[in-house]
Amino acid sequence: MTTTVIEESFRPGELEVRPDGTGNLLGSRCRSCGAHFFPTREACAGCLSQDLDAVKFSTEGVLYTYSVVRQSTPAFEVPYAIGYVDFPEGVRIMGQIAGLEFDEITIGMPMTLSLEPFGENEEGDPLTGYRFRPAEVTND
Amino acid sequence: MTDVHVVGVGMTRFGKHPDKDATDLGAAALLEAVADAGIDPRIIESAYVGHVFQGMVTGQRILAQVGLAGLPLSNVENACSSGATAIREASLAIRAGENDVVVAVGTEHLTSKFSGALTPDPSDPEAAVGATMPGVYAMRATRYMEDHGMTREQLALIPVKNKANAARNPLAHFRKEITVADVLESRPIADPLNLHDCSPVTDGAAAVIVMSDRAAKKYANGRGVRLAASALRSGSVDVTPTSMTFEPLTWATAQDAYERAGIGPDEVDFAEVHDCFSIAEVLRVEGLGLFEQGSYPWAVERGEADINGRLPINPSGGLIGKGHPLGGTGVAQVVELVRQLRGEAGDRQIEGAKVGLAHCRGGKAVGIEGAACTVQILIR
Ligand SMILES: [Zn+2]
Repeated sequence: MTTTVIEESFRPGELEVRPDGTGNLLGSRCRSCGAHFFPTREACAGCLSQDLDAVKFSTEGVLYTYSVVRQSTPAFEVPYAIGYVDFPEGVRIMGQIAGLEFDEITIGMPMTLSLEPFGENEEGDPLTGYRFRPAEVTND
Repeated sequence: MTDVHVVGVGMTRFGKHPDKDATDLGAAALLEAVADAGIDPRIIESAYVGHVFQGMVTGQRILAQVGLAGLPLSNVENACSSGATAIREASLAIRAGENDVVVAVGTEHLTSKFSGALTPDPSDPEAAVGATMPGVYAMRATRYMEDHGMTREQLALIPVKNKANAARNPLAHFRKEITVADVLESRPIADPLNLHDCSPVTDGAAAVIVMSDRAAKKYANGRGVRLAASALRSGSVDVTPTSMTFEPLTWATAQDAYERAGIGPDEVDFAEVHDCFSIAEVLRVEGLGLFEQGSYPWAVERGEADINGRLPINPSGGLIGKGHPLGGTGVAQVVELVRQLRGEAGDRQIEGAKVGLAHCRGGKAVGIEGAACTVQILIR
Protein backbone atom coordinates (compact mmCIF):
# COMPACT_ATOMS: atom_id res chain seq x y z
CA MET A 1 0.00 0.00 0.00
CA THR A 2 1.33 3.40 -0.92
CA THR A 3 0.46 6.73 0.56
CA THR A 4 0.22 9.70 -1.75
CA VAL A 5 1.67 12.74 -0.05
CA ILE A 6 0.19 15.96 -1.40
CA GLU A 7 2.71 18.70 -0.90
CA GLU A 8 1.79 22.28 -0.22
CA SER A 9 1.48 24.86 -3.00
CA PHE A 10 4.68 26.73 -3.90
CA ARG A 11 2.63 29.97 -4.02
CA PRO A 12 -0.66 29.44 -2.11
CA GLY A 13 -2.09 32.79 -3.20
CA GLU A 14 -1.65 31.92 -6.87
CA LEU A 15 -2.01 28.14 -7.08
CA GLU A 16 -4.58 26.07 -5.19
CA VAL A 17 -3.53 22.46 -4.60
CA ARG A 18 -6.30 20.03 -3.55
CA PRO A 19 -5.85 16.72 -1.66
CA ASP A 20 -6.67 14.69 -4.80
CA GLY A 21 -3.71 16.25 -6.61
CA THR A 22 -5.76 18.58 -8.81
CA GLY A 23 -5.66 22.34 -8.60
CA ASN A 24 -6.19 25.69 -10.27
CA LEU A 25 -4.43 28.99 -10.81
CA LEU A 26 -6.19 31.69 -8.78
CA GLY A 27 -7.13 35.29 -9.52
CA SER A 28 -9.87 37.90 -9.41
CA ARG A 29 -13.03 38.63 -11.39
CA CYS A 30 -14.57 42.10 -11.38
CA ARG A 31 -18.25 41.86 -10.41
CA SER A 32 -18.90 45.18 -12.08
CA CYS A 33 -17.38 44.72 -15.57
CA GLY A 34 -16.43 41.04 -15.69
CA ALA A 35 -12.68 41.50 -16.29
CA HIS A 36 -10.38 38.79 -14.95
CA PHE A 37 -6.93 39.26 -13.43
CA PHE A 38 -3.95 37.09 -12.57
CA PRO A 39 -2.71 37.38 -9.88
CA THR A 40 -5.39 38.54 -7.43
CA ARG A 41 -5.96 42.32 -7.42
CA GLU A 42 -7.53 44.68 -4.89
CA ALA A 43 -9.26 46.78 -7.53
CA CYS A 44 -10.24 46.33 -11.18
CA ALA A 45 -7.80 47.95 -13.64
CA GLY A 46 -10.68 48.50 -16.08
CA CYS A 47 -13.36 50.18 -13.94
CA LEU A 48 -11.61 50.62 -10.55
CA SER A 49 -14.37 48.67 -8.76
CA GLN A 50 -13.15 47.06 -5.54
CA ASP A 51 -15.94 44.52 -5.72
CA LEU A 52 -13.91 41.53 -6.92
CA ASP A 53 -14.56 37.79 -6.56
CA ALA A 54 -11.85 35.21 -6.08
CA VAL A 55 -11.84 32.87 -9.08
CA LYS A 56 -10.21 29.63 -10.19
CA PHE A 57 -9.11 29.74 -13.80
CA SER A 58 -9.75 27.06 -16.42
CA THR A 59 -7.02 24.47 -16.76
CA GLU A 60 -6.91 24.54 -20.59
CA GLY A 61 -5.61 27.36 -22.76
CA VAL A 62 -3.63 28.19 -25.88
CA LEU A 63 0.13 28.88 -26.11
CA TYR A 64 0.68 32.55 -27.06
CA THR A 65 4.48 32.41 -27.26
CA TYR A 66 7.48 30.58 -25.80
CA SER A 67 11.26 30.41 -25.43
CA VAL A 68 13.89 27.94 -24.27
CA VAL A 69 15.84 29.52 -21.42
CA ARG A 70 19.51 28.50 -21.45
CA GLN A 71 20.89 30.87 -18.82
CA SER A 72 19.04 31.52 -15.57
CA THR A 73 19.49 31.95 -11.82
CA PRO A 74 20.89 29.15 -9.63
CA ALA A 75 17.30 28.33 -8.56
CA PHE A 76 16.54 26.82 -11.98
CA GLU A 77 18.32 24.07 -13.86
CA VAL A 78 18.79 24.99 -17.53
CA PRO A 79 17.67 24.49 -20.21
CA TYR A 80 13.91 24.75 -19.69
CA ALA A 81 11.05 26.00 -21.84
CA ILE A 82 8.77 28.82 -20.70
CA GLY A 83 5.65 30.17 -22.33
CA TYR A 84 2.60 32.36 -21.96
CA VAL A 85 -0.75 30.57 -22.12
CA ASP A 86 -3.97 32.47 -22.89
CA PHE A 87 -6.88 31.16 -20.83
CA PRO A 88 -10.54 31.51 -21.88
CA GLU A 89 -11.32 33.94 -19.05
CA GLY A 90 -9.01 36.49 -20.73
CA VAL A 91 -5.82 36.12 -18.71
CA ARG A 92 -2.31 35.32 -19.98
CA ILE A 93 -0.17 33.36 -17.52
CA MET A 94 3.50 32.39 -17.71
CA GLY A 95 4.73 28.93 -16.83
CA GLN A 96 7.30 26.33 -17.73
CA ILE A 97 6.42 23.92 -20.54
CA ALA A 98 6.87 20.16 -20.08
CA GLY A 99 6.02 17.03 -22.04
CA LEU A 100 7.41 18.25 -25.38
CA GLU A 101 10.78 18.26 -27.07
CA PHE A 102 11.89 21.88 -27.43
CA ASP A 103 11.52 21.75 -31.21
CA GLU A 104 7.94 20.43 -30.94
CA ILE A 105 6.68 23.55 -29.15
CA THR A 106 4.50 25.70 -31.44
CA ILE A 107 2.55 28.94 -31.02
CA GLY A 108 -1.19 28.18 -30.86
CA MET A 109 -0.86 24.73 -29.27
CA PRO A 110 -3.61 23.77 -26.80
CA MET A 111 -2.02 23.44 -23.36
CA THR A 112 -3.22 22.10 -20.04
CA LEU A 113 -2.28 22.97 -16.45
CA SER A 114 -0.32 20.20 -14.73
CA LEU A 115 0.47 20.19 -10.99
CA GLU A 116 3.98 18.94 -10.39
CA PRO A 117 6.78 18.97 -7.82
CA PHE A 118 8.34 22.43 -8.01
CA GLY A 119 11.15 23.46 -5.68
CA GLU A 120 11.19 23.16 -1.93
CA ASN A 121 10.47 25.24 1.17
CA GLU A 122 13.01 26.55 3.68
CA GLU A 123 12.93 23.22 5.56
CA GLY A 124 13.81 21.37 2.36
CA ASP A 125 10.36 19.79 1.92
CA PRO A 126 9.19 19.51 -1.69
CA LEU A 127 6.50 21.92 -2.90
CA THR A 128 3.85 21.63 -5.59
CA GLY A 129 3.90 24.06 -8.49
CA TYR A 130 2.66 23.94 -12.04
CA ARG A 131 3.80 23.46 -15.60
CA PHE A 132 1.96 23.56 -18.90
CA ARG A 133 1.75 20.35 -20.91
CA PRO A 134 0.25 19.76 -24.34
CA ALA A 135 -3.49 19.10 -24.01
CA GLU A 136 -4.58 15.52 -24.79
CA VAL A 137 -5.76 15.22 -28.35
CA THR A 138 -9.02 13.29 -28.51
CA ASN A 139 -8.98 10.75 -31.34
CA ASP A 140 -12.27 9.81 -32.99
CA MET B 1 7.12 78.67 -17.41
CA THR B 2 10.84 78.41 -18.10
CA ASP B 3 12.31 75.98 -20.61
CA VAL B 4 14.95 73.52 -19.49
CA HIS B 5 18.41 73.43 -21.08
CA VAL B 6 21.12 70.78 -20.84
CA VAL B 7 24.29 72.81 -20.44
CA GLY B 8 26.94 70.35 -19.26
CA VAL B 9 27.42 66.64 -19.89
CA GLY B 10 29.87 64.03 -18.61
CA MET B 11 30.27 60.31 -18.90
CA THR B 12 32.81 57.72 -17.80
CA ARG B 13 34.05 55.00 -20.10
CA PHE B 14 31.46 52.20 -20.05
CA GLY B 15 32.85 48.72 -19.39
CA LYS B 16 34.40 46.84 -16.51
CA HIS B 17 35.89 48.98 -13.73
CA PRO B 18 37.17 46.47 -11.13
CA ASP B 19 39.13 49.14 -9.26
CA LYS B 20 36.20 51.57 -8.88
CA ASP B 21 32.70 51.65 -7.39
CA ALA B 22 29.44 53.42 -8.23
CA THR B 23 30.45 56.43 -6.14
CA ASP B 24 33.80 56.87 -7.93
CA LEU B 25 32.13 56.56 -11.32
CA GLY B 26 29.29 58.95 -10.44
CA ALA B 27 31.72 61.52 -9.04
CA ALA B 28 33.91 61.37 -12.16
CA ALA B 29 30.90 61.88 -14.44
CA LEU B 30 29.62 64.76 -12.32
CA LEU B 31 32.99 66.55 -12.32
CA GLU B 32 33.22 66.16 -16.10
CA ALA B 33 29.73 67.65 -16.52
CA VAL B 34 30.73 70.61 -14.34
CA ALA B 35 33.88 71.14 -16.41
CA ASP B 36 31.92 70.78 -19.66
CA ALA B 37 29.43 73.42 -18.48
CA GLY B 38 32.34 75.65 -17.41
CA ILE B 39 30.59 76.56 -14.17
CA ASP B 40 31.60 76.97 -10.56
CA PRO B 41 30.04 73.86 -8.95
CA ARG B 42 28.77 76.05 -6.10
CA ILE B 43 25.94 77.30 -8.32
CA ILE B 44 24.36 73.80 -8.37
CA GLU B 45 21.25 73.93 -6.19
CA SER B 46 19.98 70.36 -6.05
CA ALA B 47 20.73 66.84 -7.28
CA TYR B 48 18.91 63.69 -8.44
CA VAL B 49 20.86 60.46 -8.62
CA GLY B 50 19.57 57.31 -10.34
CA HIS B 51 20.85 53.82 -9.51
CA VAL B 52 19.34 50.38 -9.03
CA PHE B 53 21.56 47.93 -7.11
CA GLN B 54 23.96 50.34 -5.39
CA GLY B 55 22.28 50.49 -1.99
CA MET B 56 21.22 53.39 0.17
CA VAL B 57 22.34 57.01 -0.30
CA THR B 58 24.77 56.43 -3.17
CA GLY B 59 23.85 59.95 -4.32
CA GLN B 60 25.00 61.49 -1.04
CA ARG B 61 28.26 59.54 -1.25
CA ILE B 62 28.87 61.02 -4.72
CA LEU B 63 28.21 64.60 -3.61
CA ALA B 64 30.47 64.10 -0.58
CA GLN B 65 33.26 63.01 -2.96
CA VAL B 66 33.08 66.23 -4.95
CA GLY B 67 32.57 68.76 -2.17
CA LEU B 68 28.86 69.30 -2.78
CA ALA B 69 27.45 67.56 0.31
CA GLY B 70 24.52 69.44 1.80
CA LEU B 71 22.44 69.99 -1.32
CA PRO B 72 18.87 68.73 -1.47
CA LEU B 73 19.19 65.30 -3.12
CA SER B 74 16.89 62.43 -4.04
CA ASN B 75 18.10 58.96 -4.91
CA VAL B 76 15.90 57.65 -7.73
CA GLU B 77 15.09 54.01 -8.52
CA ASN B 78 12.94 53.13 -11.55
CA ALA B 79 14.77 50.02 -12.82
CA CYS B 80 16.49 50.69 -16.17
CA SER B 81 14.75 54.09 -16.35
CA SER B 82 16.33 55.29 -13.08
CA GLY B 83 18.79 57.71 -14.67
CA ALA B 84 16.23 59.06 -17.12
CA THR B 85 13.80 59.54 -14.24
CA ALA B 86 16.50 61.50 -12.37
CA ILE B 87 16.74 63.87 -15.36
CA ARG B 88 12.97 64.25 -15.40
CA GLU B 89 12.94 65.10 -11.69
CA ALA B 90 15.70 67.66 -12.27
CA SER B 91 13.71 69.20 -15.12
CA LEU B 92 10.59 69.40 -12.93
CA ALA B 93 12.54 71.25 -10.22
CA ILE B 94 13.46 73.83 -12.85
CA ARG B 95 10.04 74.06 -14.49
CA ALA B 96 8.48 74.49 -11.05
CA GLY B 97 10.74 77.50 -10.46
CA GLU B 98 12.31 75.87 -7.42
CA ASN B 99 15.85 75.77 -8.85
CA ASP B 100 17.86 77.29 -11.72
CA VAL B 101 20.78 74.82 -11.85
CA VAL B 102 20.33 71.12 -11.08
CA VAL B 103 22.53 68.07 -11.67
CA ALA B 104 21.22 64.62 -12.59
CA VAL B 105 23.56 61.65 -12.26
CA GLY B 106 23.07 58.00 -13.18
CA THR B 107 25.51 55.38 -11.97
CA GLU B 108 25.90 51.64 -11.61
CA HIS B 109 28.74 49.30 -10.70
CA LEU B 110 26.95 46.28 -12.07
CA THR B 111 29.85 43.82 -12.36
CA SER B 112 30.20 43.73 -8.57
CA LYS B 113 26.48 43.22 -7.97
CA PHE B 114 25.36 40.74 -10.50
CA SER B 115 26.22 38.30 -13.28
CA GLY B 116 24.26 36.19 -15.74
CA ALA B 117 20.62 36.83 -16.58
CA LEU B 118 18.68 39.64 -14.94
CA THR B 119 15.31 38.52 -13.54
CA PRO B 120 12.22 40.26 -12.20
CA ASP B 121 12.15 40.71 -8.41
CA PRO B 122 12.08 37.24 -6.74
CA SER B 123 8.69 38.06 -5.16
CA ASP B 124 7.11 38.21 -8.61
CA PRO B 125 4.95 35.23 -9.69
CA GLU B 126 6.73 35.12 -13.05
CA ALA B 127 10.19 35.06 -11.45
CA ALA B 128 8.90 32.16 -9.32
CA VAL B 129 8.33 30.01 -12.42
CA GLY B 130 11.67 30.86 -14.05
CA ALA B 131 11.17 34.13 -15.93
CA THR B 132 14.38 35.90 -16.88
CA MET B 133 14.53 39.21 -18.73
CA PRO B 134 16.22 37.58 -21.76
CA GLY B 135 13.51 34.89 -21.64
CA VAL B 136 10.70 37.45 -21.69
CA TYR B 137 12.24 39.31 -24.66
CA ALA B 138 12.97 36.02 -26.39
CA MET B 139 9.27 35.16 -26.15
CA ARG B 140 8.43 38.53 -27.70
CA ALA B 141 10.93 37.80 -30.51
CA THR B 142 9.34 34.38 -31.12
CA ARG B 143 5.93 36.02 -31.44
CA TYR B 144 7.21 38.89 -33.64
CA MET B 145 8.70 36.32 -36.04
CA GLU B 146 5.33 34.53 -36.15
CA ASP B 147 3.31 37.74 -36.63
CA HIS B 148 5.55 39.60 -39.09
CA GLY B 149 7.81 37.00 -40.70
CA MET B 150 11.06 38.49 -39.41
CA THR B 151 13.98 36.08 -39.89
CA ARG B 152 16.70 35.28 -37.36
CA GLU B 153 19.26 36.82 -39.74
CA GLN B 154 17.29 40.09 -39.90
CA LEU B 155 17.23 40.25 -36.11
CA ALA B 156 21.01 39.73 -36.05
CA LEU B 157 21.51 42.89 -38.14
CA ILE B 158 20.61 45.01 -35.09
CA PRO B 159 23.59 43.95 -32.92
CA VAL B 160 25.77 44.15 -36.04
CA LYS B 161 24.68 47.79 -36.56
CA ASN B 162 24.94 48.77 -32.89
CA LYS B 163 28.37 47.22 -32.38
CA ALA B 164 29.60 48.93 -35.55
CA ASN B 165 28.46 52.24 -34.02
CA ALA B 166 30.07 51.35 -30.68
CA ALA B 167 33.36 50.70 -32.48
CA ARG B 168 33.33 54.44 -33.31
CA ASN B 169 32.56 55.45 -29.71
CA PRO B 170 35.67 55.71 -27.50
CA LEU B 171 33.55 55.36 -24.33
CA ALA B 172 31.72 52.18 -25.43
CA HIS B 173 32.02 48.82 -23.68
CA PHE B 174 32.58 47.00 -27.01
CA ARG B 175 34.89 48.44 -29.66
CA LYS B 176 34.85 45.57 -32.14
CA GLU B 177 32.62 45.15 -35.18
CA ILE B 178 30.81 41.82 -35.56
CA THR B 179 29.07 39.95 -38.36
CA VAL B 180 25.68 38.23 -38.64
CA ALA B 181 27.54 34.91 -38.37
CA ASP B 182 29.12 36.05 -35.08
CA VAL B 183 25.64 36.75 -33.69
CA LEU B 184 24.21 33.43 -34.87
CA GLU B 185 27.19 31.46 -33.53
CA SER B 186 27.36 33.16 -30.13
CA ARG B 187 26.24 31.31 -27.00
CA PRO B 188 22.44 30.74 -26.80
CA ILE B 189 20.85 32.67 -23.90
CA ALA B 190 17.10 32.26 -24.46
CA ASP B 191 15.99 31.04 -27.89
CA PRO B 192 16.10 32.76 -30.35
CA LEU B 193 18.39 35.26 -28.56
CA ASN B 194 22.14 34.62 -28.31
CA LEU B 195 24.83 36.41 -26.34
CA HIS B 196 25.38 39.10 -29.02
CA ASP B 197 21.63 39.90 -28.92
CA CYS B 198 21.92 40.91 -25.26
CA SER B 199 23.26 44.07 -23.62
CA PRO B 200 26.27 43.31 -21.40
CA VAL B 201 26.84 43.67 -17.66
CA THR B 202 28.52 47.08 -17.55
CA ASP B 203 29.90 49.56 -15.02
CA GLY B 204 29.56 53.25 -15.79
CA ALA B 205 28.07 56.61 -14.95
CA ALA B 206 26.89 59.76 -16.67
CA ALA B 207 25.81 63.21 -15.52
CA VAL B 208 24.03 66.22 -16.96
CA ILE B 209 23.63 69.75 -15.67
CA VAL B 210 20.28 71.32 -16.49
CA MET B 211 19.38 74.97 -16.22
CA SER B 212 16.45 77.38 -16.43
CA ASP B 213 16.25 80.03 -19.19
CA ARG B 214 17.67 82.57 -16.78
CA ALA B 215 20.69 80.46 -15.77
CA ALA B 216 21.32 79.23 -19.32
CA LYS B 217 21.44 82.81 -20.59
CA LYS B 218 24.18 83.49 -18.07
CA TYR B 219 26.21 80.27 -18.24
CA ALA B 220 25.51 78.28 -21.44
CA ASN B 221 27.74 80.23 -23.86
CA GLY B 222 25.69 78.93 -26.79
CA ARG B 223 26.37 75.29 -25.91
CA GLY B 224 23.01 74.58 -24.26
CA VAL B 225 20.55 72.15 -25.83
CA ARG B 226 16.85 72.51 -25.02
CA LEU B 227 15.18 69.60 -23.20
CA ALA B 228 11.86 70.08 -24.96
CA ALA B 229 10.12 67.16 -23.25
CA SER B 230 10.83 64.71 -20.47
CA ALA B 231 7.89 62.31 -20.18
CA LEU B 232 7.46 59.44 -17.73
CA ARG B 233 4.80 56.75 -17.48
CA SER B 234 4.24 53.48 -15.65
CA GLY B 235 2.82 50.37 -17.27
CA SER B 236 -0.87 49.71 -16.76
CA VAL B 237 -2.55 46.40 -15.96
CA ASP B 238 -3.92 44.59 -19.00
CA VAL B 239 -7.67 44.11 -18.74
CA THR B 240 -7.38 41.64 -21.61
CA PRO B 241 -4.10 40.26 -22.96
CA THR B 242 -2.74 42.40 -25.78
CA SER B 243 -0.10 41.84 -28.43
CA MET B 244 3.38 41.41 -26.98
CA THR B 245 4.85 42.70 -30.25
CA PHE B 246 3.60 46.24 -29.68
CA GLU B 247 4.27 48.52 -26.70
CA PRO B 248 1.31 50.59 -25.49
CA LEU B 249 3.52 51.94 -22.68
CA THR B 250 6.19 53.22 -25.09
CA TRP B 251 3.46 54.57 -27.38
CA ALA B 252 1.67 56.47 -24.59
CA THR B 253 4.89 57.92 -23.17
CA ALA B 254 5.97 59.01 -26.65
CA GLN B 255 2.63 60.69 -27.37
CA ASP B 256 3.02 62.63 -24.13
CA ALA B 257 6.57 63.69 -25.11
CA TYR B 258 5.63 64.66 -28.69
CA GLU B 259 2.76 66.78 -27.40
CA ARG B 260 4.96 68.56 -24.84
CA ALA B 261 7.70 69.18 -27.42
CA GLY B 262 5.18 70.30 -30.05
CA ILE B 263 6.58 67.93 -32.68
CA GLY B 264 5.59 64.67 -34.34
CA PRO B 265 7.67 61.52 -34.78
CA ASP B 266 8.39 62.54 -38.39
CA GLU B 267 10.43 65.48 -37.08
CA VAL B 268 12.85 63.30 -35.08
CA ASP B 269 16.31 63.20 -36.73
CA PHE B 270 17.81 60.35 -34.65
CA ALA B 271 17.11 58.36 -31.50
CA GLU B 272 18.78 56.49 -28.69
CA VAL B 273 16.37 53.72 -27.67
CA HIS B 274 16.43 51.04 -24.99
CA ASP B 275 17.89 48.08 -26.91
CA CYS B 276 18.48 45.87 -23.87
CA PHE B 277 18.01 43.05 -26.41
CA SER B 278 18.05 43.07 -30.23
CA ILE B 279 14.28 42.50 -30.40
CA ALA B 280 13.77 45.36 -27.95
CA GLU B 281 15.07 47.89 -30.49
CA VAL B 282 12.41 46.70 -32.96
CA LEU B 283 9.63 47.03 -30.38
CA ARG B 284 10.86 50.45 -29.17
CA VAL B 285 11.14 52.24 -32.52
CA GLU B 286 7.77 50.89 -33.65
CA GLY B 287 6.19 51.82 -30.30
CA LEU B 288 7.66 55.32 -30.64
CA GLY B 289 6.00 55.68 -34.06
CA LEU B 290 9.41 56.23 -35.71
CA PHE B 291 8.85 53.18 -37.95
CA GLU B 292 5.60 51.46 -38.86
CA GLN B 293 4.58 48.38 -36.95
CA GLY B 294 6.07 45.25 -38.49
CA SER B 295 8.48 47.20 -40.72
CA TYR B 296 11.69 47.86 -38.77
CA PRO B 297 13.68 44.69 -39.55
CA TRP B 298 13.33 45.47 -43.27
CA ALA B 299 14.29 49.13 -42.68
CA VAL B 300 17.46 47.99 -40.90
CA GLU B 301 18.24 45.70 -43.80
CA ARG B 302 18.03 48.72 -46.14
CA GLY B 303 20.42 50.71 -43.90
CA GLU B 304 17.79 53.28 -42.87
CA ALA B 305 18.84 53.10 -39.19
CA ASP B 306 22.59 53.46 -39.84
CA ILE B 307 24.47 56.60 -38.77
CA ASN B 308 24.28 57.86 -42.38
CA GLY B 309 20.77 56.48 -42.90
CA ARG B 310 17.35 58.14 -43.03
CA LEU B 311 16.77 57.86 -39.27
CA PRO B 312 19.84 56.73 -37.29
CA ILE B 313 18.99 54.57 -34.27
CA ASN B 314 21.46 54.16 -31.40
CA PRO B 315 24.44 55.99 -32.94
CA SER B 316 26.28 55.62 -29.60
CA GLY B 317 26.16 51.83 -29.94
CA GLY B 318 23.07 51.57 -27.78
CA LEU B 319 22.85 49.33 -24.75
CA ILE B 320 24.10 46.38 -26.81
CA GLY B 321 27.28 48.11 -27.96
CA LYS B 322 27.93 50.94 -25.54
CA GLY B 323 26.85 48.88 -22.52
CA HIS B 324 24.05 48.97 -19.97
CA PRO B 325 24.95 50.13 -16.45
CA LEU B 326 21.29 50.25 -15.40
CA GLY B 327 21.18 53.58 -13.52
CA GLY B 328 23.71 55.16 -15.88
CA THR B 329 21.95 54.23 -19.10
CA GLY B 330 19.23 56.90 -19.29
CA VAL B 331 21.63 59.72 -18.50
CA ALA B 332 24.21 58.43 -21.00
CA GLN B 333 21.54 58.49 -23.72
CA VAL B 334 20.99 62.21 -23.10
CA VAL B 335 24.77 62.78 -23.09
CA GLU B 336 24.88 61.21 -26.56
CA LEU B 337 21.97 63.37 -27.76
CA VAL B 338 23.72 66.53 -26.56
CA ARG B 339 27.06 65.56 -28.16
CA GLN B 340 25.33 64.76 -31.46
CA LEU B 341 23.28 67.97 -31.42
CA ARG B 342 26.36 70.06 -30.60
CA GLY B 343 28.32 68.35 -33.39
CA GLU B 344 30.80 66.86 -30.90
CA ALA B 345 30.22 63.17 -31.70
CA GLY B 346 33.46 62.59 -33.61
CA ASP B 347 33.54 59.54 -35.89
CA ARG B 348 29.88 58.78 -35.30
CA GLN B 349 28.57 62.30 -35.94
CA ILE B 350 25.16 62.49 -37.64
CA GLU B 351 25.22 65.37 -40.13
CA GLY B 352 22.82 68.23 -39.46
CA ALA B 353 20.90 66.64 -36.58
CA LYS B 354 18.52 69.09 -34.87
CA VAL B 355 16.03 66.89 -32.98
CA GLY B 356 17.04 63.86 -30.91
CA LEU B 357 14.90 61.46 -28.90
CA ALA B 358 15.94 59.23 -25.98
CA HIS B 359 13.80 56.31 -24.83
CA CYS B 360 14.25 54.12 -21.77
CA ARG B 361 12.08 51.51 -20.21
CA GLY B 362 12.71 49.08 -17.47
CA GLY B 363 11.34 46.66 -14.99
CA LYS B 364 8.89 43.81 -15.20
CA ALA B 365 6.03 42.95 -12.91
CA VAL B 366 3.35 40.35 -13.44
CA GLY B 367 0.30 41.52 -15.40
CA ILE B 368 1.79 44.82 -16.61
CA GLU B 369 3.48 45.32 -19.94
CA GLY B 370 6.46 47.22 -18.53
CA ALA B 371 7.20 49.11 -15.31
CA ALA B 372 8.75 52.52 -16.04
CA CYS B 373 9.13 54.27 -19.39
CA THR B 374 10.69 57.63 -20.26
CA VAL B 375 10.88 59.59 -23.49
CA GLN B 376 13.01 62.74 -23.69
CA ILE B 377 13.25 65.06 -26.67
CA LEU B 378 16.18 67.43 -27.14
CA ILE B 379 16.13 70.20 -29.74
CA ARG B 380 19.10 72.25 -30.86
ZN1 LIG C 1 -14.14 46.16 -13.58
